[in-house]
Amino acid sequence: MKRLLHILLSLLLYTGMVQAQGDPLVEALRKYQAGALLEAKGLIDQAVVGADHGSNAEAWLLRGFIYKDAYKNATDTTEADTLRATAINSLRQCMALDTVGTYKENATQAYDYLAKSYFNDAAKALTAMNDVRAQAVFASYKEAALVLDPKADLRTREVEFTNALGTVYTKRFSATRADTSMFDKAVGAYEHVLSLDPENYGANYNLATLYYNRGVFKIRRIDAEDEIPTILQVQEASRGDFLLALPYMLKAHDMNPTRRETLLGLEGIYYSLQDQESSEKFRRLFEEIAPEEHR
Amino acid sequence: MTVTRSLRILLVAPFFLFAAVPQQPREADKDTTAMLQANYLYNIAKLVEWKDAEMRNGNFVIGVLGSANLYQELIKQYSTRTIGKQPIEVRKLPHSAEVERCHMLFVGRSDLSLLPEIYKRMSGKPTLVVTEYAGALEDGAVVNFVRVDNLLKYEMSLANAQKHGLVVGLTLKNLAHRVEE
Repeated sequence: MKRLLHILLSLLLYTGMVQAQGDPLVEALRKYQAGALLEAKGLIDQAVVGADHGSNAEAWLLRGFIYKDAYKNATDTTEADTLRATAINSLRQCMALDTVGTYKENATQAYDYLAKSYFNDAAKALTAMNDVRAQAVFASYKEAALVLDPKADLRTREVEFTNALGTVYTKRFSATRADTSMFDKAVGAYEHVLSLDPENYGANYNLATLYYNRGVFKIRRIDAEDEIPTILQVQEASRGDFLLALPYMLKAHDMNPTRRETLLGLEGIYYSLQDQESSEKFRRLFEEIAPEEHR
Repeated sequence: MTVTRSLRILLVAPFFLFAAVPQQPREADKDTTAMLQANYLYNIAKLVEWKDAEMRNGNFVIGVLGSANLYQELIKQYSTRTIGKQPIEVRKLPHSAEVERCHMLFVGRSDLSLLPEIYKRMSGKPTLVVTEYAGALEDGAVVNFVRVDNLLKYEMSLANAQKHGLVVGLTLKNLAHRVEE
């Protein structure tokens, strides 16, 4: 930060670009140095819309820094989002105007910090089970990250995020099982992960478990007074779920054959598919692996 | 032998980490076969008539040999119900062929070794023996659970039913996967 201020001051005071006392850019810098962010914001906003500094990379850099610091101090989420968006846009403008790369390092560093803050906020939103905000913030993260590096491979981040999103949907669905749209969203999330990374263990296992649990739930929901034709109908519906679960659990097992949870998963799926031979095979494998060997 | 059947979605740790699934004892609420068998037993009980007048009084006793989860399921879902006017009583029987008098007796796979003696002791008595192994009807079972196309169904022997003084309703017969006359 000191280095940045030094550069800015040097430029402002010695290049002769700006000499007039009361120039909003100079004043904004002074206020920023003094920690008066609110006043600095007003002055820098005034500066960048003026003819003198509208195309001035330094002005946009300073604006990016002022808004970044204001974002960090903000306690209200909506306000913080607005401040961060302004900071990001200002830094982007700085980088566009800074054709020789004088401020590249400073601008990039600040921009990268803000871009990563989107990802962290997406994680926080998921922890709070707020899937709508999580998706919005994650979209901002992707957009911001791609501006910095248009060839960036964000698949790993997207896989992490979407797996976690799937888990949020699953938890919300499992809470009451009333909102089946949450089930569909969970399936959609895990399928999206697998479209990006077919070898993703978590998505395969979770998708299998999701279908398996639904099949079990249907059977558990059979009422005592339901008659035999109903039992058969419910079984047929559950069989569909168990058959959907099977390939995903087999895939997870292939990826990690000594993982006890998938052995148990396969044992359960085959058991519910009334395939005792296969169920017992996986039960034996499960029992052969001691818990401490669990990888 | 207890085996965990509970599957858990991998939980998200504070930051997108996959948590390992802890080992847990087998949960009855994941034992789909036990749930289905319990429902079948209740329906079968409703669709069979016991000719022996003594069996039409007192509690309707369902004895369970070998399947703890089926016993639990019957207790949970059906022990407060009745067959006709007879309250259902579910009994978990000890591993022995000396079976008490009951209307229905389910013998699980873990107790197959007891069956020859059980068939002998139950010969001519008004007990509906239910099993779950291939060839059970030939051995003397009245109802046997079978696995067909990934579904749990039942087959039955009318001849064996008759030997135990049981009258099988038409519905039960029609819905069976296979009927031995």
